[in-house]
Amino acid sequence: MTLGYLPGSGLLHRSHPLTTATLAAVVSVLAFLLPGPAGPGMLVLALCVIAVAAGMRRVLLTSAAFSAPFWAFLILIHGVIGGDFATAAALAGRITAILTVFLLLLGSVHPGRLVDAMLQRGLPFGLAYLLAATLQAVPQLQQRAAAILAAQRCRGLRVGGSLWRRARAVVPLAVPLVLGALAEVDERALALETRGAGSETRRTALEPPLDRPGDRAARWLLLATVVGAAVWRLLT
Amino acid sequence: MPRLSSRLLALIPLAVGINLALGKVASATSLPVFLDTVGTVLVAALVGPAAALVTGVVSQTAFTMLDGKLMWMAFLPVQLGVALYAGLAGRYRMFASPARAVLSGLGLGVIAATLSWPISLILFGGVTATGVTLVTTALTAVGVPLEWAVYGASLGNDLLDKGVTFFLVYVVLEALPSRMAARFPAAERSRGRA
Repeated sequence: MTLGYLPGSGLLHRSHPLTTATLAAVVSVLAFLLPGPAGPGMLVLALCVIAVAAGMRRVLLTSAAFSAPFWAFLILIHGVIGGDFATAAALAGRITAILTVFLLLLGSVHPGRLVDAMLQRGLPFGLAYLLAATLQAVPQLQQRAAAILAAQRCRGLRVGGSLWRRARAVVPLAVPLVLGALAEVDERALALETRGAGSETRRTALEPPLDRPGDRAARWLLLATVVGAAVWRLLT
Repeated sequence: MPRLSSRLLALIPLAVGINLALGKVASATSLPVFLDTVGTVLVAALVGPAAALVTGVVSQTAFTMLDGKLMWMAFLPVQLGVALYAGLAGRYRMFASPARAVLSGLGLGVIAATLSWPISLILFGGVTATGVTLVTTALTAVGVPLEWAVYGASLGNDLLDKGVTFFLVYVVLEALPSRMAARFPAAERSRGRA
């Protein structure tokens, strides 16, 4: 099972990041617009074809693994208990379509390229930095949380037992992590200040992704599909 | 949107990191809580609701990207509700004592459950494939209507989660040295010292 960017040179890897992001947004809207279970089913089928054509079959395995618990619970609650298997299939198909297209986006678009594409379109530097810095900070703090857990256990902290004992164990685990992070704010703010982060000037991307006529046409076609589907649903 | 000063640009990624890293603590103690809004509530108490709203948006986006499940973005209104409520709680000095903090945390639990309930029910048929879904399934199996089963499961979880979250933020604010607290505009007011 794989999650995140997968290096490659397939159809989706060569596309402009905003084209793939538009595909993800359009599929998410269509999953709710098209009547189930046939509509979401067709979307999942189309995404399977795109994944195979783009050389990203592995994404389909991850999508199946992520979707399985949703299928199981939906069939249990709506099908076995509620007696409505069609609703269970429609809801599960919708979730599978959304999961698959997002995994294709994550797998084919490097976060750095997406940020470059957004900067090129006028996204303020602050917002782009926030997303990039956050994706970097999360694994660091997760590692620190694991280190604090190990250190407190070495000092005799018990994290098992009654509900009250477990609730009490949260404080010595969480507070050092939060205070440690707050102590870092000054250092990071100073580093940002010296690099001109507070400047309002528009940045130029060093290597902006190519936006070919085919990409632009694909984006318009995707948007036209959503509008067409919405009109069709309103009329029928 | 607030002007993103260098201090906010430094604080928000760390707050989001706290939101996502505390999941490890929650799973280590096997408590039925997520603790995924501690960073957002902390920013609301230290800086104010506008900065907390930005933290909420970035947090939900990062969580969605790292977990690989786009549908979590649908729960963004819950993060925004938490940010606004926590900002107001700070303004009314609700972090001044542990009792006030826990009480306002419980209030947030009701609001968060009420916000997440229709999203979970309408968009996902009540199934989010987390521990909450197990409770929903058990309640449905004993004859509770699906709508109430989803609300009941969310409410039980959110009351505990937000109560613990507000208590943790209270402890952090209490432990914060005055020199550090003075660098954040709302910190002293939130902890009832201004």
